[in-house]
Amino acid sequence: MKELSKKTKIVSVLIAIIILVGMIILFTKGLNFDLKYQEAQKVQLYLQKEFEIEDIKQITNEVLPNQNVMIQKVEVFEDTISIIAKEITNEQKTSMVNKVNEKYGLDLSADETVITNVPHTRGRDIIKPYILPFIIATVIILAYMAIRYYKLGLVKTLFKTIAILIVAQATLLSVMAIVRIPIGRLTIPLVIAVYLLSLIGMTSYLEKELIEKKKEEE
Amino acid sequence: MKKIKILTITLLMVAVTMIAFLGIYTQKQNRMENLVKDYEWGMDLKGSRNIRLKLNTESKTVIKDAEGKEVEDTENLTDEQLIEKGYHKEEIPNNSEDVKTLENYKTAKKIIEKRLEKLGVNNYQISLDEQTGDMVIDLPENGATDSIISNLYTVGKFEIIDSQTKEVLMNNNDVKQARVMYGGGENGTTIYLEIEFEKEGAKKLEEISNQYQTTQNSETEENTTTDSNTTQENATENTDTTSTEKKITMNIDDTEIMSTSFEEPVRTGRLQLSFGSSSTDAKTIQQSANQASSMATVLDTGNIPVKYALDENQYIFSDITKNEMEIAVYVILAIMVLGLIVLFIKYKKLGALGVISYIGFVSFMLIIIRYANVTLSIEGVFGIAITFVLNYILVYGLLAKIEERKEVYKDFFIKMIPIMIMVITFCFINWLPISSFGMVMFWGIALIALYNSILTNSLLKIETRKEK
Repeated sequence: MKELSKKTKIVSVLIAIIILVGMIILFTKGLNFDLKYQEAQKVQLYLQKEFEIEDIKQITNEVLPNQNVMIQKVEVFEDTISIIAKEITNEQKTSMVNKVNEKYGLDLSADETVITNVPHTRGRDIIKPYILPFIIATVIILAYMAIRYYKLGLVKTLFKTIAILIVAQATLLSVMAIVRIPIGRLTIPLVIAVYLLSLIGMTSYLEKELIEKKKEEE
Repeated sequence: MKKIKILTITLLMVAVTMIAFLGIYTQKQNRMENLVKDYEWGMDLKGSRNIRLKLNTESKTVIKDAEGKEVEDTENLTDEQLIEKGYHKEEIPNNSEDVKTLENYKTAKKIIEKRLEKLGVNNYQISLDEQTGDMVIDLPENGATDSIISNLYTVGKFEIIDSQTKEVLMNNNDVKQARVMYGGGENGTTIYLEIEFEKEGAKKLEEISNQYQTTQNSETEENTTTDSNTTQENATENTDTTSTEKKITMNIDDTEIMSTSFEEPVRTGRLQLSFGSSSTDAKTIQQSANQASSMATVLDTGNIPVKYALDENQYIFSDITKNEMEIAVYVILAIMVLGLIVLFIKYKKLGALGVISYIGFVSFMLIIIRYANVTLSIEGVFGIAITFVLNYILVYGLLAKIEERKEVYKDFFIKMIPIMIMVITFCFINWLPISSFGMVMFWGIALIALYNSILTNSLLKIETRKEK
């Protein structure tokens, strides 16, 4: 059995620490979700004319300082704005309406503008549609690996591949938990990137091993 | 001659690049129109239909007799007449307090999710307010969106009741599945909704069909209130009652679908209801099929334990603005330019050819994904970036080992096999972010294989021969 190099040992220990810390944070603090998936509050304003998101952003920066705000145009005429933030108070709503009135010369009523609650999206609902595709792909890939690299030992090859895939994803999850990277639109591309990298890494490693094995046999 | 060859290939790349980035414009009715197909964007990049389902707070007025039994056919009675008869009015909320539970809200969400899947919605986001039961759903905007929405919050309460006593004989629990079937005949195609019952349900249906049989001397005539006007196979057409005949009524959400009796016992555990009449008109057939399909979806997914009302229904643009998209594109372009500069500095003339080839590849890729009808989600855009990276790795490898191009090519694609497996699997998944990534990568890898073996290889071959 090959002995692990010093570099490999250090990297392994480092990954183990990251996963351990990440899991502790995951089970105590949980993950940080993007505003899109969080429980939030929404205010919708009918501006009656086209507008620039940047202008509205300036207003929300003044009224809702230090808050992550999601601004979206509503309906095909793009004359209504939806403003979503973690929390919007009545005072903030009134201030926002006043500033919009001032900016666009409108007469919107703060009293008639309602704050609606936007429920959160559960993490498991976000990842659910991706689980089966990844399982199917992984099973087929493992079958391919087992056939192509059977000379390297079936159990060893499968174990290593599964371990690499799991460790890579666990490391990503832990890093996201530790660094508080929000679970959002870029999460799945990140998961795919890590999956691709671990596959390429594993295939390169196994190919190298296979060539060495063939050389040994010759 | 070699120079001409290189120049020809380079000009081809330039032309493709111009088409990919600038387009081909022609004048159409006083305006310039791009002949090159536009990209198709997914709901995360373009926008989506945003609906809010709120618990129905309305109530319905029912007339009850002195014993508390519901009385029907009282529409024509005045308040005085009702009092005279000993009847009284009662307001019954659509959602009583005992149905407003978290468990019911969660069940409702699950049923709505099932309906979305059955209706072929390939991307959606659903969030539930566990306190109020309200649901906010985002789904893609297309021609079917309105019809999908109308089927989402229908309760889907299915009942077969005794027409006279109103006793519930069968309900959703007896239904195993419902599906749409097509039948051909001399008059054209007929659409059927086939309801298959569970084992117990099938037994009940057999008993009911025995009990509610049409007498031999009865006259048959159509007597339906909606599109469904016949049941096929064993017990079908609405039969005019004889004095001894008993009839059943089929209700969906308390609306009568049909009233009928059976010609013979139903032993198959299946009922077939025809939708509309036989037709040869494709549009009519499609309409009937859509109606039947909606009903099949509602029946198949069970009934929602709480009643919902559509509170908000609006198109909402993506929160990713054009500005943010442009920034992302510029970042990708900047990284690409840096990579190409490295290629040029490191491999000089060959590097320049590599750069030309790479730019050509990017252009071809951007055209292909438009004509391959790939809907781009964020994952799809990410797939494009990955394809560019993979192509760069291959071109770099080809330039590094110019004499062993075949080996580099072979080695690259052997390492790509697991990724290709993943990509092909993803292409078949009915979830847009995944299929978008799969489709983009599929075309990307196919293009890497073809483009580099033909064009990049030709360029490098011409140049290396020249060098020799």
